[in-house]
Amino acid sequence: VTASPLILCIDDEALGLKIRKAVLEKEGYRVLTATDGSSGLTLFKDEPVEGVILDYYMPGLDGGQVAVAMRMQRPEVPILLLSAYVNLPAEVVKLVDFTVLKGEGPGELLIKVRRMLSERRRETGNEGFS
Amino acid sequence: VNLRDFNRVLRETLILPIILLLAVAGFAAWQIQQSADALKAINRSNALLADINELQKLIVDQETGLRGYQLTGDPAMLAPFRAAAVPVNKHFDHLHQVIAARTNSSQTADALQQLATARDRYQLWLGFAMGVLNKDPAALNNPRMNQRGKELMDNVRASIDELVNSETRLRQTRSASALALERRAFVTLVAAALIVGVLLGLFTINRLRKVSRAYDRALEELNQQAEEISERRQWFETTLASIGDAVIACDTEGKVQFMNAVAQELTGWPLRDALGRELIEVFRIIHEETREPVENPVDKVRRLQAVTGLANHTVLISRDGTELVIDDSAAPIRDADGEMDGVVLVFRDVSESRRTEAALISSEKLAVAGRLTASIAHEIHNPLDSIANLLFLLEGESDRAKRAEYLQLAQQELDRTMQITRTLLSLYREPKAPVPVDMKELAEGVLLLLERRLIQQGIDVERQFREPAIVEGFPAELRQVFTNVLLNAVEAAGKGGRIRIRIEPVAAQELRGAGAVVEVWDSGPGISESARPKLFQPFFTTKGENGTGLGLWVSNGIMQKHGGYISISNSRDGDLRGACVSLYIPAQAMAGASTRPAQHVA
Repeated sequence: VTASPLILCIDDEALGLKIRKAVLEKEGYRVLTATDGSSGLTLFKDEPVEGVILDYYMPGLDGGQVAVAMRMQRPEVPILLLSAYVNLPAEVVKLVDFTVLKGEGPGELLIKVRRMLSERRRETGNEGFS
Repeated sequence: VNLRDFNRVLRETLILPIILLLAVAGFAAWQIQQSADALKAINRSNALLADINELQKLIVDQETGLRGYQLTGDPAMLAPFRAAAVPVNKHFDHLHQVIAARTNSSQTADALQQLATARDRYQLWLGFAMGVLNKDPAALNNPRMNQRGKELMDNVRASIDELVNSETRLRQTRSASALALERRAFVTLVAAALIVGVLLGLFTINRLRKVSRAYDRALEELNQQAEEISERRQWFETTLASIGDAVIACDTEGKVQFMNAVAQELTGWPLRDALGRELIEVFRIIHEETREPVENPVDKVRRLQAVTGLANHTVLISRDGTELVIDDSAAPIRDADGEMDGVVLVFRDVSESRRTEAALISSEKLAVAGRLTASIAHEIHNPLDSIANLLFLLEGESDRAKRAEYLQLAQQELDRTMQITRTLLSLYREPKAPVPVDMKELAEGVLLLLERRLIQQGIDVERQFREPAIVEGFPAELRQVFTNVLLNAVEAAGKGGRIRIRIEPVAAQELRGAGAVVEVWDSGPGISESARPKLFQPFFTTKGENGTGLGLWVSNGIMQKHGGYISISNSRDGDLRGACVSLYIPAQAMAGASTRPAQHVA
């Protein structure tokens, strides 16, 4: 029996982060949270994170910089970039697997998280068979 | 040829003939004098000849008397002899005097010689006659003696004849020379008259030609000048008529004297109707907002004796009632002595540029909002996202306590959203009259909108607020200025930069009333020397595609409207060596900043 997937959620908005964690946990995911890029990266390194939900606009390291650092460590971990801003830089959008706009609602977010994790599972599964 | 030359020619033409005629007259007078002298000489000769004749007659009388005595021996016969003795000597003396008085020396000498000879011979005869008288009368009739007396008398006669002859010859010579002189004088005078006449004619023709040529030239010059003046006048008229601005010229009484086409079009008055009318009748101007009539520009120029600009917000009401916002100036027309001769008005329709300006100002308002988009999107979408998530959680939650918590959180996020939107809307909502504005509150409101941006850029904002900094003004406009200035500071400071906002109330000073000063310092690169003079010009931007170039221009306008000012310098202040924007807003709005008649402009 596999444990439910572990998701790392990074956002500087503490309240929003707390609510998002509740939503994800309600869906059965395990959730780790960080309110800035660098503490997020520490968790990413230390924990067997299977997917990342990353806010773009943050003080200190922004979402793009965090995503780059994560790709260098473990490129196989999928990243979903969450943003309130429509005009995301193109190179950042290319770097991540999914993007969701804040305001699209929890439904859209959960669909993309599910897809992100199932693709991740399939990929690792394939690896396992070979 | 100028007037002096002309006068000289006239003088010459007058004086030369007078001189020549005087010369001819002088010559004629001299000739007449000569003739008169010649005639006098002839008369003298005649007189002399008459004298000699007389002398001869007296001598003949003496001889006849003597002969009679000789023949008869009668002493009575001697009466003529004796009577003539004294006159004969007198005649000789007289003749001697007359001849000796003559000037012609050789001829005089000859004549005196002849006279002397005649006198000597007469003395000889007289001696003989005395001898005869002393003799015995009986021996008188002696033929030998008679012969002797006759010889002696013949000698006297011969010498007197000689004298007569020579005098007669002299007279002839004189007469001939007088005749010749007369003829010569006549010929000479005629010739001189002819020559002088011809000369005078030629000279007068020459002078008159010269004068007439000069006159022709002067006439030609005058014509040319007249033509030039007319061309120049034409040119000026065309220039005035084709000037793109409206031009009206009045006399000192304020009566319209001239209007160009633009002026006729803008006022709606054709020139022929407007001529001679009072300016204020044709050029009706009122204040844009108060609708009060504006002072007649002619009176104003007369009062100030200088070029004056009309107040801002001047509206021209044309003949058909159309209203145009105009920008104009009036200037005195001065004559050569510097006396005011009239007033010229130049004005133009600025309604269009007013509309353009208004459009630019409102587009800048939108641009400010645009610059805030990222922040606002974040600020609004974050709480909205939370609310959406909370609704999702509420849906499947049966635990009352949890539901209450979610609802409370949702309310909290909703409040935040509304605060954001209210702040955003306040950028546009504006009271009609100035209201008290707390600068600190205003600054905090703008900072709230920018909060996300500041956090994301890692910009540290240092607040140095001294309260209460309350001014009177239009909050939305002040907020717009503040947003502009702060956004510029954020962009200048860049990632990890620093901004200091200092707000403090200021007391009244010499040149400004009490109010508030807001200073925004940043840690950016500062203002370049080349950019400095252009900062407040429209469409000047240092941000390329990212700026409209209207921010500071509009901010400046807003500050002026409030009776305040905005200035930008480079900070020399220790740790913050970027740009420093300084704003001053007076505590008392200038009695309706936007409705006040702009008399202070004059």
